[in-house]
Amino acid sequence: MIKRFAGFCAVVFGVLLLTFLLIHLVPGDPVEVMLGDAVTVADRAQLRAELGLNQPLIQQFGTYLTKLAHGDLGRSIHTKTPIVELIKTRYPTTLKLAFLSLFIGLSIGIPLGIYAALKAGKWQDLIVTIVSVRLSAMPAFWLGPMLMLIFAVWLGWLPVSGMESNASIVLPALTLGLGLSAILTRMTRTSLLEVLNDDYIRTARAKGLTEANVIIRHALRAALLPIITIVGLQMGSLLAGTVITETIFSWDGIGRLLVESIEKRDYPVTQACVLVVALSYVLVNLLTDILYRLVDPRVKFAS
Amino acid sequence: MLISACTQQNSSAQLHRDIVFAIAQAPLNLDPRYATDAASERVNRLIYQSLVDFDAQSKPVASLASWLAVSPTEYRFKLNKIRMPFHNQAPLNASDVKATYDSLATLKDSPHTAEFANIKNIEVIDNDIVVFHLKQADRHFPAKLIIGILPADLIAKNQDFSHQPMGSGALKFISWQNKLSLQRLKDCQKISLLEVKDPTVRVLKLLHGEVDLLQGELPPELVKYLQTKPEIIVKTSVGANFSYLGLNMQDPVLQNLKVRQAIAHAIDRNAIIAKVMVSSTRVASAILPPEHYTNHSSTNHSSTNHANLPVYDYNPTLAKQLLIEAGVKQPLKLVYKTSTDAQRVRFATIMQAQMQPAGIDLEIRSLDWGTFFEDVKQGNFQLYGLTWVGIKTPEIYVKAFGSKSVPPNGFNRGRYTDAELDALLANENWPAATTRIHNQLPYIPLWYEGQFAAMHKQIKHYLPKSDGNWDDLATITKP
Repeated sequence: MIKRFAGFCAVVFGVLLLTFLLIHLVPGDPVEVMLGDAVTVADRAQLRAELGLNQPLIQQFGTYLTKLAHGDLGRSIHTKTPIVELIKTRYPTTLKLAFLSLFIGLSIGIPLGIYAALKAGKWQDLIVTIVSVRLSAMPAFWLGPMLMLIFAVWLGWLPVSGMESNASIVLPALTLGLGLSAILTRMTRTSLLEVLNDDYIRTARAKGLTEANVIIRHALRAALLPIITIVGLQMGSLLAGTVITETIFSWDGIGRLLVESIEKRDYPVTQACVLVVALSYVLVNLLTDILYRLVDPRVKFAS
Repeated sequence: MLISACTQQNSSAQLHRDIVFAIAQAPLNLDPRYATDAASERVNRLIYQSLVDFDAQSKPVASLASWLAVSPTEYRFKLNKIRMPFHNQAPLNASDVKATYDSLATLKDSPHTAEFANIKNIEVIDNDIVVFHLKQADRHFPAKLIIGILPADLIAKNQDFSHQPMGSGALKFISWQNKLSLQRLKDCQKISLLEVKDPTVRVLKLLHGEVDLLQGELPPELVKYLQTKPEIIVKTSVGANFSYLGLNMQDPVLQNLKVRQAIAHAIDRNAIIAKVMVSSTRVASAILPPEHYTNHSSTNHSSTNHANLPVYDYNPTLAKQLLIEAGVKQPLKLVYKTSTDAQRVRFATIMQAQMQPAGIDLEIRSLDWGTFFEDVKQGNFQLYGLTWVGIKTPEIYVKAFGSKSVPPNGFNRGRYTDAELDALLANENWPAATTRIHNQLPYIPLWYEGQFAAMHKQIKHYLPKSDGNWDDLATITKP
């Protein structure tokens, strides 16, 4: 466990260092964005000094880490808002969207995958395959507006975008969830087909268990590991904020905040967003490992 | 009195009448001392009042105050006798004007501070009169006083105007969370500005009735689509924002005038306007549009009129010939930098195709805004495409082409140096300078993109303006 924690710290440190170096390597800095191009060199230098941007990179990184260790993420260079406040408002909205999308993905993808596996080679399987391949090939910037057109403009059931009403989350969650469900359908079908012909399934059937019991308690459990891997990976990217979907649906999540901060060269905000995203990834990874153990006790953490 | 009248209205009735305006980019800063982005400046015009504004010919005119040039270094401003108080009911006086411009001088992180560095001191004579003393003579000083006036007491308290603006304009700030809510003082009409980045989504929200109005920043196919919808009305007007190709005059190939002329003749502006722009777009010849006061005979130097400037028509044969005369090996390879904006990339692709028969091989580099703009400022480009937005004063020619205006001292990003032009600019002979620039082509002029606004049929009293401002939010109505 200690080793794992050390690994966790190393990953986070690596991410912080890399982000820090990368954003300072990109041309342009916040002073340029703030002052435009008709301000004297002296004024520019003065503001750069005030923001601490004239110090050597290593010193800037050291200051950043020291503040971080005290729980201080700093303030946005442009809006002067404490970054903790920004994260506090944006991250829960991303979490909400991520979990609902995952729920939609799982509740459509797994049953459909099981169904396709059971009907493998038949016309039902073909239809499920066509639908899931189509869905996974649809980019969010196309699927999103299509859903808006159908459910908001034509049927008038849901708002087009925004965050004003509780129903606003449905369309972005569907956009993300449908894409996820397509991948899960394919993965569930393939994993199930691999185990359905194994001896222990034949044994279970020979013992007289019902088909539902055989599929859910025996086959699906054995087929779950690759599905969990996919879910873990997808959940990681959902928590990182799905920039395109968030932008299309005017959903104020962490992804939009990150992209806006990069555009404005708002270094502290970019750093904080990347930190949150990295932590989310690491945590989801950890949870995935724990789930592996629960599903298959043979899996153990490397000791 | 107007504000107290508003508070007595039934709030649910107001909510029902809320006018929602979908915008592509939310304002970044509602403090007029900091705002530079178009959205912030357009909103700030409505929240605050400034001393000076511009008329239809872009001439500076009295707004909150009239002025008298006592001497080239002394300007006396007299506030209007009847004037709106601040939205917190505090009266607006000359001391507020002084406090606003004094505070601007002390800000270290404001892009506007440098522009007012010429102010020596500001003297308040009485409640209505304020005098600006300058260090150096500046004939165009009044045209710079377009910063919204803030209340002196709140400046002293370091109020965060960027999030809690307090002005004296037609619209009062209410709140700013997901959307920016404003209220019109004269009739309590609530107006919300909602950021919707995706153009397709803006159109869908308009069709669904979630928003009442949108303006500009749509691809022409969506505008044409909206024009077919019976419930939507699309209003257009000519534009004044100048789009151009900037050239690097330090580049050995581009230093040759014939090469620049070849590029100008290798772009079919009319075809681009007809196919991928709104119909009210005009071919441009100079930064300031034909209706600008410097282009009319009333100026001191009326030797040339904007309308007489020849247009560089599309002529690939001539362009090819010019390249041969310039002694350039064909195809001439040029790198064109642009942002990642879809419409900009589309223009670049079309120009790339149009330039091919002229013997120019255009390589497009589409960069994120920060990188692109940094490259432009550093002179790290051969060609780039940009638009000047909201330009009113002829001083832009000095800032954009004066040999002393190379960044960071101005906007001469192409590092153009021309002694003859410098002399014309020093004499403020704007028509001759315009002609000289048009002939020498440090910029390849493209067009003034037409303005348009799409709204529901019941929306009245709103027209798009040539510089894209949102001033008609002060008059718009929804029954």
